[in-house]
Amino acid sequence: MTLTTQGTGGQVAEEAPPALEITNAWKSFGHVSALRGVSLTVRGGEVLALVGDNGAGKSTLVKVLSGVYPVDSGNITIAGVPLERADPRLARSRGISTVFQDLAVVETLDIAANVFLGQPLRRFGIFADRKQMISQSAAILRSLKVRVPSVRVAAGELSGGQRQGVAIARAVRQDNPIILMDEPTAALGVRETAQVGEIIRSLREHGKAVILVCHDLEFIFAHADRIQVLRLGQVQGVRDVSATTRTEIVSLITGAIARDVDGEVSE
Amino acid sequence: MSTPQEQNKKTTTDALAPTLSTSDVDLADLDVSLIKRVVMSPSFALSVAIGLFVIFGLTQSPQFANPQAWINILRDATLIAMPAAFACIVLVSGGLDLSVGSVLVAGAMASAAVASAGLGAGTAFLAGTVVGAVIGLINGFFVNFAKIPPIIVTLGSLFAVRAAVVASTGGNPIGPLPDDFTFWGQGDIFGVPIVIMVGLVAVVAAHIVLSQTNYGWSIRAIGGNLIAARSAGIAVRKVSISVYVLSGTAAAFTGVVLAARLGSGSPTFGQGYELQVIAAAVIGGTSIYGAIGTVPGAALGALLLSVLSNGLVLLKIDPTWQNFVIGVVLVAAAGLDVFRRRQMFRVSAKRTAASRKVSS
Repeated sequence: MTLTTQGTGGQVAEEAPPALEITNAWKSFGHVSALRGVSLTVRGGEVLALVGDNGAGKSTLVKVLSGVYPVDSGNITIAGVPLERADPRLARSRGISTVFQDLAVVETLDIAANVFLGQPLRRFGIFADRKQMISQSAAILRSLKVRVPSVRVAAGELSGGQRQGVAIARAVRQDNPIILMDEPTAALGVRETAQVGEIIRSLREHGKAVILVCHDLEFIFAHADRIQVLRLGQVQGVRDVSATTRTEIVSLITGAIARDVDGEVSE
Repeated sequence: MSTPQEQNKKTTTDALAPTLSTSDVDLADLDVSLIKRVVMSPSFALSVAIGLFVIFGLTQSPQFANPQAWINILRDATLIAMPAAFACIVLVSGGLDLSVGSVLVAGAMASAAVASAGLGAGTAFLAGTVVGAVIGLINGFFVNFAKIPPIIVTLGSLFAVRAAVVASTGGNPIGPLPDDFTFWGQGDIFGVPIVIMVGLVAVVAAHIVLSQTNYGWSIRAIGGNLIAARSAGIAVRKVSISVYVLSGTAAAFTGVVLAARLGSGSPTFGQGYELQVIAAAVIGGTSIYGAIGTVPGAALGALLLSVLSNGLVLLKIDPTWQNFVIGVVLVAAAGLDVFRRRQMFRVSAKRTAASRKVSS
């Protein structure tokens, strides 16, 4: 059972497995069922937006994808290979980079050090290869169209949008095919939001599969290819951005439009 | 038609990897920022301050031009600079080590006991240093696993270690110590005391570790933002424990050198030493909020303390005023740090401190 659009699913799935696929994921915390049979597919060069009201299961899904929570049942496959257990490092090494909401930059270190935080380039085993880190981080930021005065500027001096750019650059540097962004625009102003939009566009051009968890429908309609609506732990519907309207998405979020029938409703 | 995965890989390599071959750093820009950074650095201000004081001293007393006076100044500075270099590293990691004076006396007494038992200078140095490393390990363990604030853990070992030393020695000094041991504290090579050379090596090594190695960058990362460092995959506990081990080792080693220099070990060594050591680091621009600080700065801070204490004597100023001057310089240095942080970051030092409290 896959959730696909406009009936192309069967053939494409045979040609190339999706960058990331979740099938029928269930997850409960005590009596609360956070995910009730959620499926999700995202391909390289595609931006998938995940939307839903509070308690719809978005954050749980993000944590499942980044390897923080194990699922109770269901499968996660990355490029066709199943992810056997929940472990953030395993998820990262298998191809999912997560840009968390709280950005996670070290303000006292410069941009280059932040881009390579935890995974520095080495010289003679123990020394930091600063020259390479400086030139590579500069190039990554440039390719993401993030403008900074110099990569030797401390991250604490940057605006929110630039910091988000640094956090994304770190994910990009890991060169993973899947990038998961949790509320990348939550704390940003108008101009900075536009900057993040630019970065997402550039990631898509580079063939990345981007999963965007976001509240901002205007932003989503500007930057996503597909929108997947979660409601009460289930997939309420999946729509191509080109073939839907804000009203329809809002109706899906609130439940005014009934759930797409692609699996049995529990209870 | 290639698969999305292949396309994916290819475009990524095309767009992101050319970085490997090209050097994108604007060199002219770098030069300007380098000069700016040097002039703005606390080490620069400190060097100017020391220079001005010495020039003033030279106009007041010919003793300031006496090489022997300078050897004394440098030797005193070395004994503060060695532990201060590693106290700086602990502070940069976001920690604090108050146990320096007690670890120093533990190292001194352990080595003195071994040396006076005739086991040789090498064994004595090793024994003293290992004692310090073990105490550092215990400090690091309680800070990182019991989650007790470093100020409390190391204050506890400040009391406990000195008490253990006094109890185990009956409060008596150990000495005189054999010549092969005291040579390392009293000997000269080409007129330069071995102590100064050893201290210089230790300080340079600490500087390279903190500024050039990936381990050093990890230390600065955990001191800057613990949560970010952890989520980026840095082994936060390992790094934090290791800096306490380094600090304990350096303090104990200083104690061993002191015992060798004085020819005996006394349980009264190093009382209040930790305060001088931390003062040297802070005067040298090390931030008590963590993440910011350099080893050469801490060494210059030690030099300033030594120049002041020796210089005020040469100027025949009542030595009571020494500590007054040191106190003023210390507060001024810490104030400068807060000011610099405000200038540097949108987040004020206060907020950084608050978030550090939450994160630790």
